[in-house]
Amino acid sequence: MKLTETTADMQGQILSVGGDDHFMNRITSIGITEGTPFQTVRNDRKMPVLIYLRETLISLNRADAERIEVAKR
Amino acid sequence: MTASIALLGQPNSGKSTIYNNLTGSRQHVGNWAGKTVEKNEGTYTYEGTKYSVTDLPGSYGLSGNSDEEIITTDFIKSGQSELTVVLVDASQLERSMFMLAEFARLDKPALLVLNMIDVAKDMGKEIDTAALSEKLGIPVLPFNATDTKDYDRLKKLIAEEMKAPHKMTVAAPAEQADVKADSRAKFEWVSELISGVTKTGESVYKLSKFDRLMTRPVLGKLICIGVVLLAFLVAMIIMIPFMSIGKMIPGVLHDPVDQLLTGWNVHPWIVSIFSTMIPNVLYFTISMASFVFGVNIVFGFLEETGFLARAAYQFDGLLSKLGLQGKAICPMLMGFGCTIGGACGTRVMDNWGQRMLAMSIVWAIPCASIWSIIPVISGMFFSWWQTLLVCVGILLYVVVSMIVVSKLFSRKLAPKETRSGMIMELPPYHKAHWKHIIKEAFFKAWDIFRRALGTVTLVSIVFYIFSFSIDGNVNNSLLYRVGTFIEPVTRFFGMGWQTFMAFVSGAFAKEAVLGTLNAVFMGDNSLLAATFYAKTAATDASLLGAAMTQAIAPAEALAFMFATTFNIPCLMALSTTYKESHSLKWTVKVALFYICNALVLSCIVYHVASLFM
Repeated sequence: MKLTETTADMQGQILSVGGDDHFMNRITSIGITEGTPFQTVRNDRKMPVLIYLRETLISLNRADAERIEVAKR
Repeated sequence: MTASIALLGQPNSGKSTIYNNLTGSRQHVGNWAGKTVEKNEGTYTYEGTKYSVTDLPGSYGLSGNSDEEIITTDFIKSGQSELTVVLVDASQLERSMFMLAEFARLDKPALLVLNMIDVAKDMGKEIDTAALSEKLGIPVLPFNATDTKDYDRLKKLIAEEMKAPHKMTVAAPAEQADVKADSRAKFEWVSELISGVTKTGESVYKLSKFDRLMTRPVLGKLICIGVVLLAFLVAMIIMIPFMSIGKMIPGVLHDPVDQLLTGWNVHPWIVSIFSTMIPNVLYFTISMASFVFGVNIVFGFLEETGFLARAAYQFDGLLSKLGLQGKAICPMLMGFGCTIGGACGTRVMDNWGQRMLAMSIVWAIPCASIWSIIPVISGMFFSWWQTLLVCVGILLYVVVSMIVVSKLFSRKLAPKETRSGMIMELPPYHKAHWKHIIKEAFFKAWDIFRRALGTVTLVSIVFYIFSFSIDGNVNNSLLYRVGTFIEPVTRFFGMGWQTFMAFVSGAFAKEAVLGTLNAVFMGDNSLLAATFYAKTAATDASLLGAAMTQAIAPAEALAFMFATTFNIPCLMALSTTYKESHSLKWTVKVALFYICNALVLSCIVYHVASLFM
């Protein structure tokens, strides 16, 4: 499923990240890489998605979150 | 001999704090050759040796192809600095060590600073720095950037490393062809390094009670707005003492300077420059700087505690519609205080196009000066509830302007495919370190003061020449001649020569508007004195009101208020935008838009209002 389809408190794992190199660089350098476990903290309509990953609370805008495939853990 | 070091770290690693504390006021801001990226260099002296410090432009990594990343990589590779101080956030070790993984490939002498070690401790994270240092082959220093005592240890370590520098002995992460695999390799490298050095925190995250409120879609926004209003109130209170001192300057200096120069038989025209204009220029600049000081203290506090990151989260959705992103909320809020502060505040945006777009949108936000003159003028013509309506009308048009500016410029400045959406960390709430906040606010205020002094003096001299008349009567000034000559044109836009002149002076400094109105409507007053005494000798609003209501129609007053509010903010804001964007072309483009926008708006407001009034 997409990251935007997850619900609060779900424990998951990043499956794949899609996009151009520029986007990949930005997203991976903050720590979102394939295989990384994460937890969705908040996911409200029209709001960025809040995830907890690599001991960091990260806010991701929705358009970017759409491009991230995840699975339940 | 000068030793040279460089600072490298991700955003939020505390790099600028360390840079400022190391170099103090011995800083130089320039440009990287051929690039629009700011180059910050400073110096400090430790035990007789002078050290030059280069603050490398920050991003999360080094392998992307943004200007910042290319500059940083090239600089380190060139070996211009003998030692690179790599900063990581100890409270988020795994993630922030990514920068070190990137740096490892460059194979240059370095030392590692584990900043925010206090925060890590508070979170119950222990880091075995000796073991980490052993694995890496370079010294590792636990550090708290806001604790002044730690700087001696840092300077001492740097001095030692200069004599016998260390390169990392651990093998750099193997290079991979595609971005994904490459990043994964770097994070694996980090995991390998920190395993056994620190234990990773618990994997289930719970929002704190306050964050649970702050992240709620509606309530969170309301809290943000409330906190920001409160912040402005506090900023005003902070600036009052400085303002009052500044306010005394023209009164205190006028007579002695006047007597002294007159005693030397200096021509009275020159005397008035030194006795009236210069002291008032000082007063203007001091008020401006003290406002910047106050705003920076409160926003410094909100930033350091982690509040602004929450505000960015809250407003990301709305701002994306303008082609911006959540991080732009801070400069936009600052814009309600001072456009200059807002323009500087756009530094948080990491994409040049979006940054320029944010600056041009900040221009649409009426600053505190506008909010202080509009009710006065409106009160002369309208009742209190009509004045309220005027203010609401202005606020509504702020939204319209923002949308128009975004529609007009975003296609060139931030085309959809280049936009960087908000990907940011929400740092844990920190305690504020007041000493550090005050120091930073002081640097910024001093910087504005220095820059403003020159600009304001120049503008004042130009204004002096235009408003000069031999007998002190406005009708004999160049301003009057030009004004009445072009009046047929300005009439079309809804303004007579008097209001048009006030409109023009408002483009230099909004503070000058009331003074100019006073001069052009009260006639018998010297325009120069009126402009500069606008604040000091408090314009008598009731007298001016009587004169104005007799001379012009309410429709013209309304048109004038809208035109002044939505014109270019002020000369200082213009020059700041140019300095921050390094693009004269775009600064001029945006300025032209605002002038046209103000005139068209004035024209519409005047002709529509004339139908009803």
